[in-house]
Amino acid sequence: MTRAAVRARRCACLAVAALATLAFLSAPQAMAAAVAGTPAQDARSDCGGMLDAKVRQVIRSTRHHLAYAPRQGPIVQGRPFSLDIVVCPQGSASMPIALRVQADMPAHGHGMNYQPTVRSMGDGRYRADGLMLHMAGRWRLQFELSADGRLERLVQVVDLP
Amino acid sequence: VTALARRWWRGLCRGLALVSLASAAGVAADGATEVPTSDGRPTFSAEERARILAHGPWPPPAASDPGNRFANRPDTIALGQRLFFDQALSPDGRLSCASCHLPGHAFADGRARSQGRVTLERNAPSLWNSVHERWWGWDGAADSLWSQAIRPLLDPRELASHPAHLRRLLQEQPELRCRWQRSFGMPLPADDADLLVLVAKALGAFVGTLVSQPTPFDQFRDALARQDVQAAARYPADAQRGLQLFIGRGRCQLCHAGPRFSHGEFGDIGAGFFVRPGVVDPGRHGGILALRASAYNLLSPHADAPGDAAVKTRHVQLQHRNFGEFKVPTLRNVALSGPYLHDGRLATLAEVVRHYSELDLNRLHADGERLLEPLRLNPGEQQDLLAFLRSLSDPAALRWQPKALPACR
Repeated sequence: MTRAAVRARRCACLAVAALATLAFLSAPQAMAAAVAGTPAQDARSDCGGMLDAKVRQVIRSTRHHLAYAPRQGPIVQGRPFSLDIVVCPQGSASMPIALRVQADMPAHGHGMNYQPTVRSMGDGRYRADGLMLHMAGRWRLQFELSADGRLERLVQVVDLP
Repeated sequence: VTALARRWWRGLCRGLALVSLASAAGVAADGATEVPTSDGRPTFSAEERARILAHGPWPPPAASDPGNRFANRPDTIALGQRLFFDQALSPDGRLSCASCHLPGHAFADGRARSQGRVTLERNAPSLWNSVHERWWGWDGAADSLWSQAIRPLLDPRELASHPAHLRRLLQEQPELRCRWQRSFGMPLPADDADLLVLVAKALGAFVGTLVSQPTPFDQFRDALARQDVQAAARYPADAQRGLQLFIGRGRCQLCHAGPRFSHGEFGDIGAGFFVRPGVVDPGRHGGILALRASAYNLLSPHADAPGDAAVKTRHVQLQHRNFGEFKVPTLRNVALSGPYLHDGRLATLAEVVRHYSELDLNRLHADGERLLEPLRLNPGEQQDLLAFLRSLSDPAALRWQPKALPACR
């Protein structure tokens, strides 16, 4: 095999590996762009139907749908808030055994200054307390679910004016 | 005719008012950014106008010292005012709260580092509008105004007081005894900590009354909000240009946000945190540790039903990047409260503007926010930004006088 052919094959292998890694990393994430406080018009999921429709948001992956609603109305910069969360397993997926909630500002390289706590209320319902987005701009609200021996991260973009 | 004609006429008037406001206040009526007007006033896009409006209205809804059920009682405020200016609060009669928080210096002291019994390590912040803060002190070690008051009261380098001295003072002075009774409706508590907390709550109640009045910026902002052409035009052109820098290229409003011009959190701005060679001020990192260790935080039994105000204390997170972070100060009255930064290392507001203009990124934390960049402002832009910052001063702030208190015997 010529040097060029070896190099070409090495490049192809690297590209495939990079694509596979990318696919693996992005598969568990469901990205949904939304503006905080926009009413969720989600005809495809009735997950969290009991939440306040005015502020309910739904994030979907193939394994779970997750609905959340801020308890104090739309999320506002600099005001602590709590979330009511409902997780709805899809297909053969199980209910998560743990749920973590975080938020960060990727463009600024920082997260929240506050560590939220999450309490299970039973039947896939949770309550997260102690969140606060202290700066205007684009945040990512992240929900990390542990179910069936896997970690799944559901992410939603929140833009604060 | 009539209803229709009236509606048409009203619409026409509104349109004309908008157009003339746009030119007087440099507002682009279609929301687009335009070139500055011939008189040097910039034009503001719809997005910029929204950002300007977010810095008001002022004053905001009334706030109260969290966990202090006496905060709004006039008798407690009167006791607090009386104690704030009383040097007898320190056992040797040398220092009062007003030694470092002078009304004539916007309730700061005009020094780089405050002078207690020794020269202290930090600059005394202005107390104006402090009731609207989330955390108190440059490191946010206190989660209420009243608990903040306890630290300098007991610090041996500052008032160096102690509960036994306070008890003596409050027992022996008939006027203070009378004011105490009126304020709290009870004799001095037997427990030293309870006594200390009530003294601090009286001080917190008084400091909570220091809310400044609207400034030239607020008048401009309100004029934009109500589309008042004449009032908007009175705001100087250089301050308008500085404002546009502040909310635009400078991105200052990300941290200096909202009506207080501060988001109330902490940041590293490359100021350096060596107190002296070999000794560092840990800033927010130390503040969170002190807050958690405090017997007087909002999670303690001394806090009166703090409710949602205690959420911050329960959830605040200690992070490595907090090391060397200091509170983002309010910019209201900023021109009156120099020197600047946590240790007063910058003597003038012009030096602060230059600091951000020539920021040395190598001095920022490697794991800190990726937010700051040198602004590279030319001299004219620096002057504009200064004009804007000066417009955030309440002209009445330096004329503050203590209230005459009714006699109490």
